[in-house]
Amino acid sequence: MTYPQRALGSALTIAEMEARKIRHDSTELWMRTVQPALWLLIFGEVFNNIRSLPIPGGFSYIQYIAPGVLAQSVLFVAIFYGITIVWERDVGLLTKLLSTPSPRLAIVVGKALAAGVRGIFQGVMIFALSLIIGVNLRFDPLDVAGVFLVVVLFAMCFASLSMTLASFLKTRDRMMGIGQAITIPLFFGSNAIYPISLMPGWLQAVSAFNPLTYVVDAMRSMLLTGDYSGLPTDILALLLSTALFIACASVVLKRLIE
Amino acid sequence: MTAQFAKAEKTSEAVGNGFAIQVSGLTKVYPGGTKAVDAVSFDVKEGEVFGLLGPNGAGKTTTIKIITTLAKPTSGSVSVFGMDALRMPEQVRQMLGFVPQAISVDGDLTGYENLLIFAKLFFVDREQRKKRISEALDYFGLTDRADDLVKHYSGGMMRRLEIAQALVNRPRLLFLDEPSIGLDPYSRMQVIRQIRDLNRNFRTTIFVTTHDMTEADELCDRLAIMNLGKIAASGSPMELKRSVGGDVLTVTVSGPLPDSVPKDLGTLVSADGGKVKILTDDGEKAIPKVTDYLEGKGATVVSVSLSRPTLDDVFMKYAMADLRDGSFRDTRSARRSISRHGR
Ligand SMILES: Nc1ncnc2c1ncn2[C@@H]1O[C@H](COP(=O)(O)OP(=O)(O)OP(=O)(O)O)[C@@H](O)[C@H]1O
Ligand SMILES: [Mg+2]
Repeated sequence: MTYPQRALGSALTIAEMEARKIRHDSTELWMRTVQPALWLLIFGEVFNNIRSLPIPGGFSYIQYIAPGVLAQSVLFVAIFYGITIVWERDVGLLTKLLSTPSPRLAIVVGKALAAGVRGIFQGVMIFALSLIIGVNLRFDPLDVAGVFLVVVLFAMCFASLSMTLASFLKTRDRMMGIGQAITIPLFFGSNAIYPISLMPGWLQAVSAFNPLTYVVDAMRSMLLTGDYSGLPTDILALLLSTALFIACASVVLKRLIE
Repeated sequence: MTAQFAKAEKTSEAVGNGFAIQVSGLTKVYPGGTKAVDAVSFDVKEGEVFGLLGPNGAGKTTTIKIITTLAKPTSGSVSVFGMDALRMPEQVRQMLGFVPQAISVDGDLTGYENLLIFAKLFFVDREQRKKRISEALDYFGLTDRADDLVKHYSGGMMRRLEIAQALVNRPRLLFLDEPSIGLDPYSRMQVIRQIRDLNRNFRTTIFVTTHDMTEADELCDRLAIMNLGKIAASGSPMELKRSVGGDVLTVTVSGPLPDSVPKDLGTLVSADGGKVKILTDDGEKAIPKVTDYLEGKGATVVSVSLSRPTLDDVFMKYAMADLRDGSFRDTRSARRSISRHGR
């Protein structure tokens, strides 16, 4: 077997390991759909009645935030991976994984892929809910596939970022803290639930560097507008940051067990 | 990378220098400044069961972590089957199995899945995988519980599952960090037997750490005693016991216990719970002298008994030396076949 074959095989095995765990106990997965459901059902429905929000393209508010809510829920799932890996370190599992011949890179990619699988589940649930409550999205098969691709990349990106942070912070408490400290500003400092044009000038500038903005933009172009002009930039930005964070996490992951 | 890997694999088959592990000048200083391993050198021969003994904090786990490529040494070299562990960590890990000190099977998977996933991570062939897994489950008496989540297993079952992983992956070199900790006497005996079987049937080289001297005596072909990051003595259990030499004098006293004894009486091994243990060249001759000495210190001698040294006494002598006043160091000369390292 060549090195790439081994690396890919190991990554898929790690992802399989996570998938099997989800199959044994999927409670957490279902609980994680509650929050996005509330955003759509309560926040979305209430704000739908405020007609004065300057939403581009004449979409309803609930249509506008559906992609944003999806992106946010994937973000929350992914950022959780740093906590998982610290927990695995605490119970000795990480030592065991690192003592296998698998390349470090494969371990990180495998975990990140697993985050992607959880992200897809979030996507399916949010699409289902949108259909049930009559949120009009473009359910073109290619667009949906594109959205899932973005979901997987985005989940991998932030799961790797989270694992990188975990390698430096090393405790669950600190990871919980940093999780909050990252996700909330990212969410509110993006175009997820309101247009950038509503933000004060300084925040608009900040949001241009917010990866969530690009992810939401990509999803919105596929699910709502059908205007793909921004898509290449969005995906390129996402690919680059995913590769960067996976590389970082592979290099520093070992710090956790030292 | 690919080419290097392929080459390394070939050489790994070809190396036949007879050593599973060669460690030289190994030192590890943790960021906090603790010198956990201090210029240690030793060899483990292919096919043997090697025991690393030592008190808590001696540096045993740290040594294992370095050889298994999980930690980087501050200095020194490590080679595994002739391959440089610092330069080719992945290739080295392909040949080893590791049962860490803390139980580390995955509670959220079933027993079968634990074996399956780790077999895949060790690139065990698909055809062999199924057969080996069911054999291993059978051998370790886990077949009935194979489809239960491991978090519902008892501690002993988890340990057995962990060793079963080694049976599936068939590493050439298996590290076991205190494998029998927390096991009842029966499970402990079983685990020891299974480790020995692995060694005999597959010629797996075993590197084991333990605090249990009886276990070390039964299991190991060769031992090293580590203390404060250094190897204090090494040899076969027999050699080590002989090196301690003479007799162990156990004196039961009432009254004050001594902190040390004059050199011509022998070496004080322990003094607590009303019992004083002294190592001497000639136990019978030492009895009156020791009795006089102890009574001179205000104690009353209740009884005296003589025995041959056990591995416990060896451990006490080499491992606890630095916890006392260092008076053990120069007591014995008859070390014959024992190689002493460090210091
Ligand atoms: N990650 C670490 N950071 C700093 N110091 C460490 C670390 N791990 C171990 N040490 C220190 O290194 C020394 C050796 O520890 P080690 O775990 O190797 O001992 P051990 O022989 O395995 O002990 P035990 O029998 O208790 O398992 C100890 O003083 C310990 O405090
Ligand atoms: Mg230890």
